[in-house]
Amino acid sequence: MMGRTLFIDPGRCIGCQACVSGCRECDSHRGKSMIHLDYPDEGSSVASLPSVCMHCEDPVAPCAEVCPAEAILITPDGVVQEADPTRCIGCSNCVNACPFGIPKIDLAAKLQLKCNLCYDRTSIGLAPMCATVCPTGALFYGTLEELQAERPGVDVSNWFEFGDVQITTGVAMVVPADRTRQPVPGGLPTLPLVQVDGRDVSNAGGQP
Amino acid sequence: MLLAAAVSLLLVLAIVLGSRGLRDFDSALIPYTVATVFLAFGVTYRYLMWISTPAAWRLFRQGLRTAFSWENFRRAPGSLPKMAATYLGFQRFLGARSHARWIAHQAMFWGCLLAVAITFPLTWGWFTFTASSAAGPGYEMRVWGFKVLGFSSSSPFGWAMYHGLDLAAVLVIGGVGYFLWRRTRDRAATTGQRFGYDFLPLLALLTIAVTGLLLTFSEICLHGGGYEFLAVIHMVSVVFTLVYLPFGKFFHIVQRPAAVGMQLFKHRSRAQGEELFACSRCGEPIDTAPYVENLRGTMRDLKLGFDQWAEYCPRCKRVLRGGAYLQHVKRGFR
Repeated sequence: MMGRTLFIDPGRCIGCQACVSGCRECDSHRGKSMIHLDYPDEGSSVASLPSVCMHCEDPVAPCAEVCPAEAILITPDGVVQEADPTRCIGCSNCVNACPFGIPKIDLAAKLQLKCNLCYDRTSIGLAPMCATVCPTGALFYGTLEELQAERPGVDVSNWFEFGDVQITTGVAMVVPADRTRQPVPGGLPTLPLVQVDGRDVSNAGGQP
Repeated sequence: MLLAAAVSLLLVLAIVLGSRGLRDFDSALIPYTVATVFLAFGVTYRYLMWISTPAAWRLFRQGLRTAFSWENFRRAPGSLPKMAATYLGFQRFLGARSHARWIAHQAMFWGCLLAVAITFPLTWGWFTFTASSAAGPGYEMRVWGFKVLGFSSSSPFGWAMYHGLDLAAVLVIGGVGYFLWRRTRDRAATTGQRFGYDFLPLLALLTIAVTGLLLTFSEICLHGGGYEFLAVIHMVSVVFTLVYLPFGKFFHIVQRPAAVGMQLFKHRSRAQGEELFACSRCGEPIDTAPYVENLRGTMRDLKLGFDQWAEYCPRCKRVLRGGAYLQHVKRGFR
């Protein structure tokens, strides 16, 4: 199973944006945050979801597979790196193919930007910036044993489902102990959406 | 493999014809010539391997189809040369990454281009310089045996002609110096860097440029002292660089035109006023409709199985995933 990695527990996230600020401070991508913080039920609940690159293992890195410039490297330890600036042509294939919606694109610089699990830190044994500054432990960096020692009864899943497709990842999410035998839903609607926030979207998909 | 061999053979034929049946060919430059023939083979082979991958193949077809379509020439005749100049020549996108990197890369790029423009035709025997009279200082430059210009070797133009490679070396050393400094200091560059991929090409260019300058120094100041040794080091570094080019970092030189094809492919739809493809959930534009369809096709080629997901913008993908977690995994999350 997974070794030392990042465990995400949205149930603990208070939406404080400390991870976003911490990420922005990282020396390898100064001033730009690679972590996303979203509010899935905005207006109705305070639930928030921090999203980092999940470092897909099977299929291995769809972002790298769809890259026409062979710009995304996967290190032997399974970390999917950000695009090599020498090769990236800024086509956005990775941005729109990623099932987790993680990569960003700087169109002027023709460059993809993505979480690389703070490789400058994790490759020398330090925790990523986001996990270091998270005040509630919604982002935990360590081994599963270390997580379970701190939080008895907790389990994790790195198994996601998008329609008929299942993806396993290097980064995992905390799930209730009785739910480890099922994949975590990736959110891909099984039926076409007809309404979002009271707005008719039945004709969307091609027409802004 | 066969196509790559055919391109190499074509180059050999062009060398034989261009040097007037090898009459203008300088046999002292044979190692360089052989390296360029291998370069033609390596680049063609590696290029074909690259564009045979599903993502690159689809983009290659779309880019080429757009760039050379009648529609493109008719509607926007200037778009191809303009994009080629801004992306490939002046590399404006690098300025958006960092001004210092842009300046350093431009110095390196134009330096290398100047060196290639001078040396490749010389090693192929396509350029020759002959004295127009025994007394001098008039010189004639001939291309494929035809005189193209005459100049005085003592004029500033003559000096520039004979020191073109020194000027190129100065540009390259400036650019390489900055990038080597950056590779030791900047955390963005040092994270995940590899010696063979990131340092070796810079060190190879530096060796070529420094030994090239030292050859001139040896000739002017040392009366040729150490010239032969320097010439061998220079030749070895050049041959290594040319052989390495198709397989390492330098391959981006061959790949970069794909950016022009990709941009033209997207630009065509926008210029034709086609509507952008909107996110199925929030309605925000994702990209041009042909681009989204091309990506979905790539995902299907790769058997990724969730190409329908490309109809949603990245933010909606995250929000929908958060909503599903909220609903099906951890209800206490609310």
